[in-house]
Amino acid sequence: MKNKIGIIISREYAERVSKKSFIITTILMPVLMLLMMVAPALIMNFTTQEAKTIGVIDRTGVLFPLLESSENIQLVNSDLPVDSIKAGATGGSCSGYLIIGEDAVVNPQSTAIRLFMDGPTTMEMEQYLTGQVSKAIETVRLQSYDINNLQEILDNVKANVTLITQRTDKADNAETMSGSISFAIGLVMAFVLYMFLIMYGQMVMTSIIEEKNNRVLELVVTSVRPFQLMMGKILGVGLVAVTQVLIWGVLLALMAAFVVPMVMPETAMAEMASYQAGTMDVTADNYELISTLSSLTSVGFIVEMLVYTTIFLLGGFLLYASIFAAIGSAVDNVQDASQLTSFAMIPIIIALICSTSIANAPMSTMATWLSIIPFTSPMVMMTRIPFGIPMWEIIVSIVVLFASFALMVWLAGKIYRVGIFMYGKKPTIKDLIRWARYK
Amino acid sequence: MDKNLLQVKNVSKAFTNHLALDDVSLNVPEGKVYGLLGPNGAGKTTLLRIINHITAPDSGEVLFDGHALTGADVDHIGYLPEERGLYKKMKVGEQAIFFARLKGLSRADATRQLKQWFDHFGIADWWNRKVEELSKGMAQKVQFIVTVLHHPRLLIFDEPFSGFDPINANLLKSEMLKLRDEGTTIIFSTHNMSSVETLCDNITLINKSRNILSGNVADLRREFGQGRYTLAFNGDGTELKEMLDKMARVETVAPGTDPSTGISLPSTTLALKLNEGVTPRDVIAAANERVEIASFNPLVPSMDNIFIETVERNNRQRKNEE
Repeated sequence: MKNKIGIIISREYAERVSKKSFIITTILMPVLMLLMMVAPALIMNFTTQEAKTIGVIDRTGVLFPLLESSENIQLVNSDLPVDSIKAGATGGSCSGYLIIGEDAVVNPQSTAIRLFMDGPTTMEMEQYLTGQVSKAIETVRLQSYDINNLQEILDNVKANVTLITQRTDKADNAETMSGSISFAIGLVMAFVLYMFLIMYGQMVMTSIIEEKNNRVLELVVTSVRPFQLMMGKILGVGLVAVTQVLIWGVLLALMAAFVVPMVMPETAMAEMASYQAGTMDVTADNYELISTLSSLTSVGFIVEMLVYTTIFLLGGFLLYASIFAAIGSAVDNVQDASQLTSFAMIPIIIALICSTSIANAPMSTMATWLSIIPFTSPMVMMTRIPFGIPMWEIIVSIVVLFASFALMVWLAGKIYRVGIFMYGKKPTIKDLIRWARYK
Repeated sequence: MDKNLLQVKNVSKAFTNHLALDDVSLNVPEGKVYGLLGPNGAGKTTLLRIINHITAPDSGEVLFDGHALTGADVDHIGYLPEERGLYKKMKVGEQAIFFARLKGLSRADATRQLKQWFDHFGIADWWNRKVEELSKGMAQKVQFIVTVLHHPRLLIFDEPFSGFDPINANLLKSEMLKLRDEGTTIIFSTHNMSSVETLCDNITLINKSRNILSGNVADLRREFGQGRYTLAFNGDGTELKEMLDKMARVETVAPGTDPSTGISLPSTTLALKLNEGVTPRDVIAAANERVEIASFNPLVPSMDNIFIETVERNNRQRKNEE
């Protein structure tokens, strides 16, 4: 009997894994995700504009020397009369003119500072000019107090804080990732789980509906018990999901282990090595960046996340696939299923909506409860795990999840057994409950 | 007496709104072909599903080879359901192997035997084609092969001839008889009464979830033929018919004149079912006085007659019961 489930599983698995769409998404998804990360930088690159020259007419006479040019914005001194600027008769050497009024230092809120441009300005340009002028005015004002060693005092006052979070509930007071990184990872994990549960859960459903519609089901149940067929399908599709996650995980780990060192500057790699060895100076400027990078690209961390993802994905998938299997067996087509599936998907969507607030307060009562309730626990747990939560909570959550799968699949099997021979009627939840009670 | 391979004892099964099977019993002797007849919706498919261990009866039991039917017995049963399909995207050969393995064959055995069957049916070149490229009749051949491949002791066909053209239906019939000769027991349900006459040794007729008639086909036909005769005669039969109406139930099979043209035909044929106490001699004597008798023969009823008459009589009885 066990062997028969094995044959069903291998058929389901082989059919899906050999599909072109599976191969393409499995390989393309990581590439797409990489592109999405790189895209902003690429776009910035392409939209960089050529440097613009701005003529500054400084009536105060003290501000211009304090203004600094940037890569994109060149500031030059100018003495063109305002009237010819207004008329556009500038000779074309500058694309804009900044006029700083005489009382700019005393009263900058007045309309003493104006920018005349020969075209539209950008936010970047406006922010840069405002920032430069404000800074210059502040410097002039400070100097007017006539304090000795002013620059030294200012440098001394400047504070650059690096916050290192350490856990008193972990061995060696281990350093952990900063909250903001955990937050981001948690949200991404919740979304990945959401995608997988919906995608693969629905796959089980549509495949059962298809079998029912072309009546191949009637032929199969002459050799295997309906429950074995359902179980074989759920496990077969589940294996496909696990395969996909593992392939992605391995790709990610490979990228972390080989690609990242290749593209990172050598100094950063050396710093990461010293961070990992615990010898890095915590007062270094880029301490935070390096610590983030090194935990994100640590193969150990990726493997740990991969193991949890696989466990919770599998548990969540099995639970939801059982529900979707029962629904699929009961209906004749996908349209009829929509009402029942939307009912089944409510907990997944609730978990997704809650994941933001859970990532904000990973130890809250709500977070704890939602990670025990099996319908929400896979996603909620994956949101919380990056923060490092107590092991017992994870274990309780996993046990409850798999126990409720066992219960649900037993119930689904009863519905399935009756449902697959029911044609032509759109069933309600009431019908499903009645079928489950049949002998 | 023959050994019974399958015994169904007082099986009942109820669904939400109706009783699908009501205290049905039947015995299927080993090595024979057994016909399961009955109007649409009588409960035949439900009975076959119970025999196949797909659904469980509410009460009653099914014995296979003397012991209560278990899931393991399914390996000795081949079932071709009425509604049947194959995985459309799968290749024919791969799919046939899949079904054969579900029945407990090893991949190597399945492949070897399948190749033989495919050659036998002349469909060897379909092996690597996808099922969606096959016609319905072609797919049915594949399904037949899959059903019989594992040499089951009991074969069950639900409406095997629906969807087959006459040539393939005949092929199927001869295969079924061949399997029977090899010792396989066959149960099949059908509406095709002529196939019952040529194939079945025994039948059961189910109407509105009850077994209303069981027995050997030859016996049943003889039994039903009792008191039934055909009478052909020349001449005016008006007076004779009045006379015969008192002695038998009379049905005109062939009239003396063509109703559309009015031309006289050589003879009139009547089908008679004699009333209680009336002998063939009485009929011949009565006829001999009035017309010229061309022939007088015992009538062997077709399964069609038996089916229709039994079901209609049963329906009348049930109505009276209500």
